[in-house]
Amino acid sequence: MIEFQHVFKSYGRGRNVLANINFRVSAGEFVLISGPSGAGKSTLLKLIGGLEPHTRGAIQVNGHRLDQLPARARPYLRQAVGVILQDTHLLFDRNALQNVMLPLAIIGQPLVSAAARARAALEKVGLSGKEMLNPIELSGGEQQRLAIARAIVNRPAILIADEPTANLDDDNAQRIMNVFRDFNRVGVTTLIASHDRPLMARYATRVLLIESGKFSDSHGACP
Amino acid sequence: MNAWLRQHRYALAVTLRRLSAQPFSSLLNLLVMALALALPLLGVAMLVSVEPITRHVSVTPEITIFLKQEAPAQAAGELAARIRKEYAQQVRAVRTITRDEALASLRSNPAWKQAFAVLLDNPLPDAVVATLTEGANLADRANRLAQSWQQWNDVDWVQLDSAWVQRLEAILRFVRIGLFFLAGWVVVIVVTTIFNTVRLQATSQQEEIAVARLVGATESFVRRPFLYLGALSGAMAALLAIGIAALALTPLNTALLALARSYGQEFALHLPSMPVLLIAVLAAAALGGLSARWSVGHHSRA
Repeated sequence: MIEFQHVFKSYGRGRNVLANINFRVSAGEFVLISGPSGAGKSTLLKLIGGLEPHTRGAIQVNGHRLDQLPARARPYLRQAVGVILQDTHLLFDRNALQNVMLPLAIIGQPLVSAAARARAALEKVGLSGKEMLNPIELSGGEQQRLAIARAIVNRPAILIADEPTANLDDDNAQRIMNVFRDFNRVGVTTLIASHDRPLMARYATRVLLIESGKFSDSHGACP
Repeated sequence: MNAWLRQHRYALAVTLRRLSAQPFSSLLNLLVMALALALPLLGVAMLVSVEPITRHVSVTPEITIFLKQEAPAQAAGELAARIRKEYAQQVRAVRTITRDEALASLRSNPAWKQAFAVLLDNPLPDAVVATLTEGANLADRANRLAQSWQQWNDVDWVQLDSAWVQRLEAILRFVRIGLFFLAGWVVVIVVTTIFNTVRLQATSQQEEIAVARLVGATESFVRRPFLYLGALSGAMAALLAIGIAALALTPLNTALLALARSYGQEFALHLPSMPVLLIAVLAAAALGGLSARWSVGHHSRA
């Protein structure tokens, strides 16, 4: 499903943010990418989502070699990978339902079925009844769940999330992790970058650790 | 409805939402473009109204020879015969108009009827009208003949009748070239305005564009609303320009018609035909779409 082979990433002529990364994630895994701030967790997720190019090596996601994927084909890869970034990137000029409907509008889904799917996605993340609210009217945890609903409405094969529980209280953090667990249970490959290892360890089946420039893999045995 | 059409419907809805979100600046942009487009439209209205006149009047020079008042009655006939004989190669037809025929013709014109009714005598001279054959250096030949015939006995003065038509044609040529340059300037104004409008929109929608790309939007999906914005702006500005030009023609025509009627004529400026106006609207839409494509290509790169 996801494979990194000798992957390097640097910005400009600066030092390598990621150096010689090798790992493989199979379909249906729930993987925690852990490490201190600035270790390169977010960069790793962005490389998987095709949001940034890598400098060297080979990345394969959902059957596509990213370095061989033409620019015009990248959007189709992104449609298959649900992305939740640290900043939720919600649109505040439209309501929650319209935010979730955006990925469906992109693929030309009929309006009625798109609205139905968006409502179902909102229900899955526990935001039923808040469809018509503007994201600004939602709490931090609700905004995070709204971003998750938008990421999963397209039924992606892979879900990646960058610090989804940062700045949330324990209850909200657990609620969001339960949402990810539910999606993972129905076969969605899930990768979450977080430095909250105790919380993540309760959900993830595997940990990829980036620390002091070194990369280690628990290989299925969650520490 | 297939996905492609639904994506276009979505882009159109996004465009209308963005336009209506800033109604004042959208309207101002449209007004600037419409005023610019109305200028060449008024120019074209003048051309299409005047050109039929030049088409229906022959530009082949006719030379009218007016005889002296004291010339004998048979002088016109003799002069016509001499022209036929000596200038057979250069003259296609010759006809005489006696002073009585000329007076009767003028009296039948309502513009002159009243003026001639008070005259006791006929002040008009006999005249001979010579129509020249077509050929090279027509204007020079007509001038030479006019100068030559001016020297003949009993001739008071010689007038080159088609000169005004040629002058009018020269003026129309000038106006046409002027309009061509004006249209060029208007294209620059429209392209610049739409380019800038789309640039501002693309800048203010950076967040939306980034989110759309994040969730898998293709470049076409991102650009489509901007293309609609450009095309719609162009088309709406053209429609507004037609309205402005039509409004401007109303008082102009009232004054022009009053002037023309005093000469017993009916003349009014009118806009080009509906198909031409439709083409103009489509051209403005295409121009708007192209400049938007150019602008969004510069300002919304991934």
